[in-house]
Amino acid sequence: MSKPTADWERVGDRFYRKLQLYTSVFDQDLELENYVVAGAPFSGAVAIYRDEEKLYTYRNSQAAKPTIDIYSCAGKLIHRISWDKGTIKGLGWSEEEKLVVVTSDGTVRLYHDLQGDFIPFTLGHGAEEHGVNSCRFWTTGFVALLGNNQLVAVTRYEEPRPSLLATPPSDEVASWSIIPPAYTLSRSVEVLLAIGKSIMVVDASEAEDRMLENGPLRHVGVSPNGRFIALYTDDGKVWVISSDFQNRLSEYDSRVKTPPKDLQWCGNNAVVLAWEDEVHLIGPNGSATKYYYDSFVHLVPDIDGLRLFTNDVCEFLQKVPEPSEETFRLGSTSPASVLLDAVDQLEKKSPKADDNIQLIRPNLDEAVDTCIRAAGQEFSIHWQKQLLRAASYGKSVLDLYSSDDFVDMSSTLRVLNATRFYEIGLPLTYDQYLRLGPERLVNRLVNRAEYLLALKISEYLNLPTDRIYVHWARQKVRSSSTQEEDLCAEIVTRLKDKRGISFEEIASAAFEEGRSALATQLLEHEPRAGKQVPLLLNAGEDVRALDKALESGDTDLVMHVLLHLKKKVPLASFFRTINSRPVASALVEATAMDSDTELLKDLYYQDDRRVDGSNLLLAEAIEAKEMDKKMDKLQSATRYLADAKEFAFQVKAVEETQRLLKMQEAFEKDLGDHYTGLSVNETIFKLVSSGNVKRSLKVQSEFKVGEKVYWWLRLRALVGRRDWRELEDMSKNRKSPIGWEVSFGTNSDALVGRMLTRSEQPFFNEILGAGNSKLASVFIPKYTSLTPQERVDMWTKCGLIVKAGEEALKVKDVRMLEELRGKATGQAVMEIESMIGQLTKR
Amino acid sequence: MAPQSAIDAQDITDKARRDLLHLLEGVRGKKNLVIEKSLLGPIGLFVKFSTLQEYGVDRLFTLENRNVDTSQRNVVFLVRGEKARQVQAVADQIKQVRRESQQAHEFHVFWVPRRTLVSDQILEENGVLGEVNIAECPLYLIPLEPDLLSLELEDAFSDLYLRKDPTAIFLAARALMLLQKQTGLFPRILGKGDNAKRLADLLLRMRSEEDVEASADPTNTYQTGFGMTPSSTIDNLIIIDREVDFATPLMTQLTYEGLIDETFGIAHNQTEVDSSVLGPSPSSQASTTTTSASSTNPQNTSSAITATKRKIPLDSTDKLYPTLRDCNFAVIGPLLNRTARRLQSDYESRHKDASISDLKSFVAKLPGYQAEQASLKTHTSLAEEIMKQTRSDTFGRVLEIQQNLVAGGDVSACHEAIEELIARDVKLETVLRCLCLESCVSGGLRPRDHDNFTRLLLHAYGHQHLLTLSSLAKTGLLVPKQANTGYLNPMAGLANGGNGSTDYGAVRKSLKLWSDDVDEQEPTGISYVFSGYAPLSVRLVQAVVQKSFLAGLAASRNAAAAATTPGSNGNGKQTSPQASGWKGFEDILARIKGATVDEVQRGADVGASAAKLTLRGSAPGPKTTVVFFLGGVTFAEVAALRFVGKGLGQGRRIVVATTGVVGGDGVVGDAVERRGFGVK
Repeated sequence: MSKPTADWERVGDRFYRKLQLYTSVFDQDLELENYVVAGAPFSGAVAIYRDEEKLYTYRNSQAAKPTIDIYSCAGKLIHRISWDKGTIKGLGWSEEEKLVVVTSDGTVRLYHDLQGDFIPFTLGHGAEEHGVNSCRFWTTGFVALLGNNQLVAVTRYEEPRPSLLATPPSDEVASWSIIPPAYTLSRSVEVLLAIGKSIMVVDASEAEDRMLENGPLRHVGVSPNGRFIALYTDDGKVWVISSDFQNRLSEYDSRVKTPPKDLQWCGNNAVVLAWEDEVHLIGPNGSATKYYYDSFVHLVPDIDGLRLFTNDVCEFLQKVPEPSEETFRLGSTSPASVLLDAVDQLEKKSPKADDNIQLIRPNLDEAVDTCIRAAGQEFSIHWQKQLLRAASYGKSVLDLYSSDDFVDMSSTLRVLNATRFYEIGLPLTYDQYLRLGPERLVNRLVNRAEYLLALKISEYLNLPTDRIYVHWARQKVRSSSTQEEDLCAEIVTRLKDKRGISFEEIASAAFEEGRSALATQLLEHEPRAGKQVPLLLNAGEDVRALDKALESGDTDLVMHVLLHLKKKVPLASFFRTINSRPVASALVEATAMDSDTELLKDLYYQDDRRVDGSNLLLAEAIEAKEMDKKMDKLQSATRYLADAKEFAFQVKAVEETQRLLKMQEAFEKDLGDHYTGLSVNETIFKLVSSGNVKRSLKVQSEFKVGEKVYWWLRLRALVGRRDWRELEDMSKNRKSPIGWEVSFGTNSDALVGRMLTRSEQPFFNEILGAGNSKLASVFIPKYTSLTPQERVDMWTKCGLIVKAGEEALKVKDVRMLEELRGKATGQAVMEIESMIGQLTKR
Repeated sequence: MAPQSAIDAQDITDKARRDLLHLLEGVRGKKNLVIEKSLLGPIGLFVKFSTLQEYGVDRLFTLENRNVDTSQRNVVFLVRGEKARQVQAVADQIKQVRRESQQAHEFHVFWVPRRTLVSDQILEENGVLGEVNIAECPLYLIPLEPDLLSLELEDAFSDLYLRKDPTAIFLAARALMLLQKQTGLFPRILGKGDNAKRLADLLLRMRSEEDVEASADPTNTYQTGFGMTPSSTIDNLIIIDREVDFATPLMTQLTYEGLIDETFGIAHNQTEVDSSVLGPSPSSQASTTTTSASSTNPQNTSSAITATKRKIPLDSTDKLYPTLRDCNFAVIGPLLNRTARRLQSDYESRHKDASISDLKSFVAKLPGYQAEQASLKTHTSLAEEIMKQTRSDTFGRVLEIQQNLVAGGDVSACHEAIEELIARDVKLETVLRCLCLESCVSGGLRPRDHDNFTRLLLHAYGHQHLLTLSSLAKTGLLVPKQANTGYLNPMAGLANGGNGSTDYGAVRKSLKLWSDDVDEQEPTGISYVFSGYAPLSVRLVQAVVQKSFLAGLAASRNAAAAATTPGSNGNGKQTSPQASGWKGFEDILARIKGATVDEVQRGADVGASAAKLTLRGSAPGPKTTVVFFLGGVTFAEVAALRFVGKGLGQGRRIVVATTGVVGGDGVVGDAVERRGFGVK
């Protein structure tokens, strides 16, 4: 086995390694130099298409048909998209391994799996007139540079909203790049345009010139973490600066006349320049190394390194990870490398193994950790094993060591090795795997139709497997030509005891294929009622959609179906449909109440809901501005109810309303005051207040207002206008329908007994409340059933202490009198005292 | 699997704040924020306006005012997406801004709590969908207090019972699902009422759907695997449909908090009081502690009246309020007195022993004293103002009517009194509350009485109230007796096993809804909150958590049983309340309106549940009972439930969740027709 350090190269004080991942990648006939190559992040698929700007030899008509070919890293053709939609100006990938194709007229196609299904959308913002020049992609979006230097950004692929960035100057753009939103201060994408000698930084709100002097710049490259920018100047130099344009970090002179074809970052600390068959790797501080190839090289950057593609090989270039460097570096005396040596010795059955262990005893746990981590970084299975063996050996010597990391790493390596296998062709590094996560890895496998491996990995890592089954079933539905029933049965038997299968997705695949019968059959097995709705609507099964929506309890869904239904079917059958479904009709009513009363009227009419119908008219009468219209509406409200006996009361009330309004209108004419809109009681009150007692009596008799109510109104109105004379007249009445006193609670049983039994004196209180204590006192003698204490209090409230005293005297209550003496002033004190005297004397 | 946790209000608050601010952060640069009026309050509960400003909010508008200006490029809408009307308003505003402004605008809409299909449809019809950035702000349950979570849906009551629109049930189910994801499954779902049944069914359905949902969601990360196991921290979810107990909110609440709500109204932990009540100098203490989003911004019309009105925060951060809020108002006076005296003596203590260290500790406590002083001042003024109300004729009269009704007293006397109230033109809501209460308690008004009162009401308050009365009948609050069995309720037919109406007489006896001897000072039972009436809703909760106590009450209606503290009485036999559900009270439940729910939720993975049980050991930790009030809860009920919770012991507690806090005026007020027949 070759040493792991064989492919290491020293650049400055760091080591870089170039791993050969796969050989004989592309067909030898493929003229890679004439192709544009775009690779998905996290060692994903590679898409290539023939660059139209380059000349090529005519072979035969077959080859002339343009295609976009999607390969795995190992060169396995995954899918071929035949392309006849115009010039491709941008080809890129999203994090989810969705292929994005941008054409010169601003049309974007988003291929969401690797099988050729796509979602189109357009960029707009003048892309059509000016054309798209080029595009730059990041993990969740891209920016397109238009012919007029306008920049259009798409920041997400679900519901893409192309938005225009600030307008840069219209000078020629020599090169450009972007900083993804996650790495900018403003949290929106920033575009670096090399214009003239300098760089413009453009974001959503402004375009700012960074005042560089080294231009024109042939290449601009942003490091994966967005912190550094590499610039290639016209005189063949590479500058690395920080992305805030404050610090210049390093400089490298390539001494090459022709500008490189490509400039990319390799991880976050090295820049790679590529000419046709020559590659320069520039580390920190301007140190560099060069690689030479036999054929044309393409660079595909990734988060922690760079993939190199030629016809023959796919290689991965990265900085040697720290644990690997620590373990393998020549002459390394780190505990990890000693431990690795120890396991070597152990295999040779040499006692030196133990010596080694004793040597690093104090740092043994650290050595084990390093070995485990180094194993993760190795692509060679031999060295993975060797490192894990070393870790295992070291671990066995340690007394206390948690094996979690070891176990995790072992299982991770199993997964990684399986996916790196050339038939799968996903050469993930350990770091990429951590960033990607096992779910998305499984997703990628599923997209490649590697169902078995996906299932095995999912089961091995305890991940949900339902997505895999669903995808399989969808694929099955698409490709199979079996009879509908058989196919459905086959899918259902395969999936029925699996948890959480979304049959809706399978059904929608069937529906897209035009097999709607199959779709509805499959839909029956969908557990989520709500999810069935859109598909049922599409299939024209409106009523079933409504039922399913109701079943889901989601009112939004119900409304959605209802709106759809209302547009589609005639009103009568719409009503018929909702009639038997109370929730649906309640929802229709509730929304129509705000917006569409006509609909409501029809609904009530059809349902023969008379009271509701007439209430609707009442509401309209209230709304109406003119009196005539009000009357009309009221009239029709009564007509609505007229011929049914059970609504007689309601009819009477509405008629009363009309009469009242008419009377009020008359009052307004006669008295020149505002009356309409008042209630019967308010009308009486107002009439009494304004001294129109006769008219008020007329209202009373017209509407049969009870005596009690009338007296109350009169009392309050009179008090309100301080008509003491009239009140006094009232007091001369022998009887009052509301009683001189209202004593409530006398008949209340024991239950309420603990409450205050209140008795109340309406006249007294109202008048006293209005401030006329003299008149109030007139009423006191009328209250015959009160206790002396209460009368004393009432007199006191009127300020008539002497009278209160007399009351107390009557019952011979000295204590009460003494209390009163405290309250009395002036003359009253004397009188009270004399009363006390009277009592005490005896 | 995420570790199961207890319900932590702080977490929920923090998450809500994070979610909102994260969304705001996503909009670059300065922005104008347009908020739906009903969301202002809830949002003010967890984020201050100054924080919004830090996140680039320049000016704040309310959607209803339709006055969004064009000063900023970014316009952000924060609106509930369930109602077509609101969505239409958003579309109109966007079109208006577009029309009026010269520059291009960037529109963002954050739908609360979720994006709806209908909203998309409406925006599309208005031709604005394409240029709006849409996001969801998943604001479901918002903690008002650590033990009180609310959806803060203002219209929940009228939607559910008047318009029969079950949106609130769906949102409640969503909210409870979120809660379950945090805490694990509710081991047992109990409930009473047709809507409670619907909610429980939805919860079960959602759980089965969640399996699929979780996997279909591509953004789903590692092992949210919702094959949840039953919670180890929660024992029951008890769903109370407001319809089961309309009577309670109609009663006048007699706790301090309840009375503040009755007198001034409490919305989102704040009450608005005429500044004259609190004296001219607003104590800076009170006004700076919570400057909510709504009160600080001049653009806001809701605060335009703050010149004369003052907002007072009422929550557990206040020094005195937590001790006062749940007390019967009768003891508030003495309590305030005692506090005043204690403060005084504390304050005076500085003269006595003035060693340097004593002085130092005194100075350290000084801010606390001052806060307490300020709080004391506020509450004294509030209490005085309330006292004015409670001393008035009508208040006493109304209370008497209500108590008479719930105690099963003579109805005709009440009728006389109600007639007088009408003649005296007291507030319409007050009268309606009395009438509705009678209707609820006795299963509808006698047709003759019904007609008579209808006439009186129409005469006194205007004929437009034909609509009001019709709405009340639809809600089921005020119905004539014979129509009661088949009144217009389209939902009634749906629920099987639900019976039409409550047999109040029987329930009153068996659940002891009324007690004559109530000690407001040292309450022995929940009836103290209404000075005699024990809310049916709370009794139902007690039927689950305090079985033996309640059984004891019902069996021997003597005072001795009531006198023993509920805690000691209740704990004896209730080793596992979760296992018993409604057991022992089935007969009584059958006499109460609406369906009865009793569902046990087991983990999908039996092995995992068993393992978890073994891991936890047999000793159960402190358990929480979640009580969900569908359609709203009153402060008095919350107080009563707190009282019940205190008696449970063993670290068990009750958390109340609801669609919103309601009061009697609001309940009937939703039905009241506000417009008149006048020609203006």
